[in-house]
Amino acid sequence: MSATEVISTSAVPEQSGVLVARRHHLLVRWSHWLNIPILLGLILSGISIYWASPIYQHKPDPLTGNFDVAADMGIWICAHVPGLHRYSSPPDWVYNHLSLGPGLLAAALRLHWLCAYAFMLNGAVYVAGLIAGGGWRGLLPRCTDLRDAFRMFRYYIGFPFAKLARRQWPRPSFNTKYNALQRAAYFSIPIAGFLSVVTGWAIHKPMQFHLLAALFGGFDTARVWHFWLMWVFLLFVIPHVILVFADGWDTLRGMIVGWSARAERSEVHGS
Amino acid sequence: MNKKAPGFFRERPLPRVEVDAQVLRRRTRRDVVLFGAGAVAALAGGGSLLPQDTLTRLGLRGKMNPPGKEWPLNRAIRIDDDLAEMLYSPRRTVPTYTKSQITPLKNNYNGATPDPGYIPGWHLTLDGLASGVSVTLDIRNLMTSFSIHEQITRLVCVEGWSAIAWWAGLRFDDLLRAYPPASQTKWVRVESSVNLDASGNPDPYYVSIDLATARHPQTLLATHFNGQALTVEHGAPLRLLVPVKLGLKNVKAITQLTYVAEEPPDYWAERGYSAYDGI
Repeated sequence: MSATEVISTSAVPEQSGVLVARRHHLLVRWSHWLNIPILLGLILSGISIYWASPIYQHKPDPLTGNFDVAADMGIWICAHVPGLHRYSSPPDWVYNHLSLGPGLLAAALRLHWLCAYAFMLNGAVYVAGLIAGGGWRGLLPRCTDLRDAFRMFRYYIGFPFAKLARRQWPRPSFNTKYNALQRAAYFSIPIAGFLSVVTGWAIHKPMQFHLLAALFGGFDTARVWHFWLMWVFLLFVIPHVILVFADGWDTLRGMIVGWSARAERSEVHGS
Repeated sequence: MNKKAPGFFRERPLPRVEVDAQVLRRRTRRDVVLFGAGAVAALAGGGSLLPQDTLTRLGLRGKMNPPGKEWPLNRAIRIDDDLAEMLYSPRRTVPTYTKSQITPLKNNYNGATPDPGYIPGWHLTLDGLASGVSVTLDIRNLMTSFSIHEQITRLVCVEGWSAIAWWAGLRFDDLLRAYPPASQTKWVRVESSVNLDASGNPDPYYVSIDLATARHPQTLLATHFNGQALTVEHGAPLRLLVPVKLGLKNVKAITQLTYVAEEPPDYWAERGYSAYDGI
């Protein structure tokens, strides 16, 4: 019966078992990583679509005739960033670097619909994984979150200075899967995803879903919502990626393999 | 130790298992390799879906058109069009507005605005009728034989802008009743022969409209805009006003309506946009 037992006891006798915690359900991990190409496709094509009719416009500039705020930003960037002074078309700088390219509205719409349907399916996979693995409970806000989020925020802000000053800077300890700041972020992002989908439908089918568009203040305002929801994802990603790498390999492995070797820390109810 | 049963919403401890250190190592190695392979596949697969122009801009030389590249993109647009068609109901009307909510509507002629010289000699030709003969109507025929309806509705452009405008015209449905199409008709080819391209050369404009949408009570053959007879910028003397479709289906200066059984070609569908365009 015990070929493995023989090996594990005779070949490497000092090797004991490792306690691992099952951190993320398989479906959660799959949908997490699939979000990267899907969101990238949505954002690149989305900015191409935005370019066709920018939300933020002003009266045409008497000198340049420019009316688009994103074009103003491109002009400013090319005027002030060293090495860009000779950029051929400063008003297009922002779009040329953040979209699929000029004159690609039809291609952008096609890619946007493909990615939008993929995003909705992927969202369903994520929710299924949260339910199957019970992970949804770890995302729910708590009464203590405001105070704990402040403690965590103070820790993150002070961390680099404490390192420089070689001072002790103890990490606030929590016996939950996520700290309060993580929980706020991981609870908000699925909501932002849901709102992106809903505002997307409101502006995609503004006649059949005109009540949905009205819920967000009408067709034009729903476009503004949809635009700023994109920024929620972009602003989330930056600290998310930095903190995962700062936290170490075990956290990243948790999202790839699903297992965390920091099993003790993952306990919720003290024993 | 807390003996009380945790509430339904209470976070549970993560399930823990004791595994051999080697199992953890092997599992980690296996999944990291799979993850890397998946990342490469996603980069190649996702990248190949990008438009050729984008790939060229990224510095990838040569054609990147693997067979089947268009399949998922076409499939998505098809699903989206089918869904739009499912959402359509002749009884569901679009919101109407008051005169104080009217917003400016720019001249969005695709290409150059035609010379108004065509207007005096303008007439509308109907083809594919049940009678089997083609009918020619001038603007006076249309305005005197049909009742004129007014509506203030939103016109939504595929580019993302929209405008609320006050229209008046005859119902397309009334024209269909007066001149019934052949029995197998499912589509209308709506055409403007006066359309020009950006350099001013003739560039006939044609779109497909499904018969159900043509019969919608808010689908007008508009003769008036903001209380005045249509100007050349807005498609004098007759334009299609179909608020359940994108602006690009709202053909200006219609010269011909052809009733057909098979889906007719569509100017913008041929240029990569969707064919149904229901909104």
